[in-house]
Amino acid sequence: MSSEGPEKPGEEGAGGAGSSAGGAGGGTRFDLEKETELRFEVEAGERVQLELLSGLAEVFGSELNRNKKYTFGPGSKIAVFTWHGCSVSLTGKTEVAYVSKDTPMLLYLNTHAGLEQMRQQAERDNDRGPRVMVVGPTDVGKSTLCRLLLSYAVRLGRRPTLVELDVGQSSVSVPGTMSALCIERPADVEEGFSVQAPLVYHFGSTTPGTNIKLYNKLTSSLAEVFSQRCEVNRKASVGGCIINTCGWVKGSGYQALVHCASAFEVDVVLVLDQERLYNELKRDLPHFVRVVLLPKSGGVVERSKDCRREARDEKIREYFYGFRGVSFYPHAFDVRFSDVRIYKIGAPTIPDSCLPLGMSQDDTQLKLVPVSPGRDLTHHVLSISCVEDEPADGGSARGRGVLESPVCGFIVVTAVDTQAQVMTVLSPAPRPLPRHTLLIMDIRFIDLK
Amino acid sequence: MADKETSTAPSKVDFCSELLSPSELFGARTRSNKIPVRGQKEFSRSDSEKQKERLQQSLEEHWALIAEERVERLGSLVKGLWIPGERVVELQSPAGKFWHTMGYADQGKQFLLPEEALYLMECGDLQVFFHDLPLSIQEGYKTLLSPESVTLQQYQVFGHLKRLGYAVSRFDPSALPTHYEMQINLPQKNDKHSRHLKRKLDHSVTPTPRHSEEQSLSKRMIEEKPETEAIPGLAGLRPAPSVSPEFSGGQGMDLDEPAERSRGTSWWMKEAVEECPGVSDSENTSTVPRWDFSSISFPDLGSSMARRSQPLVSPDPELLPGALKVGECDISPWLRRLNLHKEKLMWKERERLRNQQRYKRDINADPEVRKCKKWNEYLELLEKRRRHRSSSRRSKPAHLWAQEVKPLTHPGDSSSHGDLLKKISVIPSSRLLDEASRLSGDLKWRISFNIYQPDMVSEYKKSNPGTPYTRICVCSFDGPVPDLQAIKQLTYQSGNSPVTFAVVDHGDISFYSFKDFQLPVDVNQ
Repeated sequence: MSSEGPEKPGEEGAGGAGSSAGGAGGGTRFDLEKETELRFEVEAGERVQLELLSGLAEVFGSELNRNKKYTFGPGSKIAVFTWHGCSVSLTGKTEVAYVSKDTPMLLYLNTHAGLEQMRQQAERDNDRGPRVMVVGPTDVGKSTLCRLLLSYAVRLGRRPTLVELDVGQSSVSVPGTMSALCIERPADVEEGFSVQAPLVYHFGSTTPGTNIKLYNKLTSSLAEVFSQRCEVNRKASVGGCIINTCGWVKGSGYQALVHCASAFEVDVVLVLDQERLYNELKRDLPHFVRVVLLPKSGGVVERSKDCRREARDEKIREYFYGFRGVSFYPHAFDVRFSDVRIYKIGAPTIPDSCLPLGMSQDDTQLKLVPVSPGRDLTHHVLSISCVEDEPADGGSARGRGVLESPVCGFIVVTAVDTQAQVMTVLSPAPRPLPRHTLLIMDIRFIDLK
Repeated sequence: MADKETSTAPSKVDFCSELLSPSELFGARTRSNKIPVRGQKEFSRSDSEKQKERLQQSLEEHWALIAEERVERLGSLVKGLWIPGERVVELQSPAGKFWHTMGYADQGKQFLLPEEALYLMECGDLQVFFHDLPLSIQEGYKTLLSPESVTLQQYQVFGHLKRLGYAVSRFDPSALPTHYEMQINLPQKNDKHSRHLKRKLDHSVTPTPRHSEEQSLSKRMIEEKPETEAIPGLAGLRPAPSVSPEFSGGQGMDLDEPAERSRGTSWWMKEAVEECPGVSDSENTSTVPRWDFSSISFPDLGSSMARRSQPLVSPDPELLPGALKVGECDISPWLRRLNLHKEKLMWKERERLRNQQRYKRDINADPEVRKCKKWNEYLELLEKRRRHRSSSRRSKPAHLWAQEVKPLTHPGDSSSHGDLLKKISVIPSSRLLDEASRLSGDLKWRISFNIYQPDMVSEYKKSNPGTPYTRICVCSFDGPVPDLQAIKQLTYQSGNSPVTFAVVDHGDISFYSFKDFQLPVDVNQ
């Protein structure tokens, strides 16, 4: 999470006002007034230690422990917010560090209060809790708002569910996936939410536009599983869910948002920063859905394409090597081509004139296309589908099963030997592979470092 | 087996004690044991000498066959005692190999049913005593067969099938599983049932422990089922970014909250029940949307209230983490800070947006949408409209219905070819079991035997015979043909095994059965 925390000092530098900076114990000491936040960005190749000296403060909804040193890696963009006032110290090189008074935290807190009211009502009436969809263009702080609202909810003893539909920058699993995660404790200040037992579906690309049909289908699948869970788990039902979406809000991307709203039957839509989107959603969603327009935080910074790619890479590295690449030790072993079946979802589109009569073009987007293993497989990320292994002759009925089955893990092809018909893979677990149906992603990961 | 079946017509009563001289024995052994060939049936009388001769010869051969004396080794004969009261034969000496497929034990004694005893007598395996005297085959036929137990025709069918190698047992309707039991798949109960009822208590086999084992095994299988059905998480991969079985399958819940779970499930069920009456007077229940957003406040900068820039009231500390207390929030400065994120639109998108603004209507302007208070109502409405739109698109040409000869269906009546064909089909297809369960009434037709395949005999167990290959209903060629009601009823009674009708024509037996079949359907959808 730290790698993609989008809060950062903005150009709109209202910062500094009312803050008194002074050196203390090797670090820089910041005294924050109430309802202000300290924003800082860690310089490339550096680490910064944050320590809370007095008072109470939180980072994206997770409270800081006093006198505990939190380390943030290079490129982290962090905002330390305080409701009551506090003093913190920063050790290490920061690109920028300033205190800002202008935070929309009160608005976000009010939003949380509204959701909590809904949860209380749900608990009282034995109904389901609020289902919230957070939408907005890229770089407005959608993920951060989700994290904030989830942390607040879980601190009140709720069990909300995070539904991550942002295939580009997933905060739950590797990019190119859609996932749901039950939140049971506030996010770790450094690592973000503890990712235990998420439900992950393979999408295969970093933009929903490559296969919008599949995107919508997987959204429906997630919604269905979530509803089933709500039916048996009262707490999850009351906790509701918070859906993080892609930053694509035009054309089919907008249609996907409307589809998601109806699939999850959302109650509240939080629109960040864009009035056009707000007005369109008000027009296209039924009146009983509350659409709320919220400002973005001044601390949110725009990320470049490179920055996003790096964040994606970091996320995959984190999957194999653990947080900051120190806790996990992945395995490398050979897999014979004959032992696995590799598929790609979505066939290339064919001109309508070439299609059989009555067959619609849409079907090709959900088709499973077998991929013959070759040198071009190198560095691709493959998902291991949970679907039961069956004899290789797969019909369309089986294909459906693969689409709708969640993923049980990921591997990366590090080398392909076409002569020996084997490929070397990087896997989080030793051989053998738990399943033998692999789905190929467009995403590549080169295992350096 | 069939070769041995030559019967004797004894002239002396005490033939059992008769000892044969070596030459007689030798003669009996070398005697040709061929059964005379019957040849073609003489369908019409030609009154010719040749035909008469042929008939005479055939008759003589048969008489000679019947008159032939049977020679058996005394040691290989099992002794049995006919008990007329119970219509069974009690064995006095240890049973032979036939015990594998025939007979039953009760209170430590071994018994044979009359048809089994008679068959074994004919095979030369059994000698039945009645009033301390052995029965001849002829006497056996007379004594053992009776309309109350087994008729001659039934015995003929029994013997015929036995000689062909099938394992044959009596059919007991009360041992059949009920239709409900079949639906829920209770095989072992069926077996247990039949064993106790039909064969009385079978102490010799004592299969009870095995049965309980089977039951427990199947129980275990049932218990294991949900586990296998749940999508297993990954066996090997690290739990971190993997899928848990807990979350998938819809049964994921906090395992440390069993009380919560039970309460939760029961609640949902209760709610479902409560909802049923709610549907009828949906007017009452659905007038108010679930969330009253006038009391649940959100800091919506787009709303008109925000436009008036009234400050937000401070939220109830109870709703906030760490019992925070915050003051009012002035939102007016934020109003100026919306749309900070510049939207980059291409010319095409801009054009589309403009079109949308001009032509697209607010769906909430529609009174019907306004009436919906829940997502499912709204989605239902959309679905209804979609269907309506697609059907109204092909409106029917009215003049076709003005004439005397009208089209069979209306356009839009059916959504697929299969539907359409079903609608215009003149003779509805029927299955043998259709409405069979509702037929009742005493029938003169009864199923007599369960038949098990010969190649199964090695594995055949009297205690657990399994599902019969077929069941036999014995009819006579002189009698009436079973009507549809009888066939339906018998098929229904037989359940999972087919019913075969054995038609006896003076010793000749032919088998008939009715098979359900479906006319091929070209179009399903």
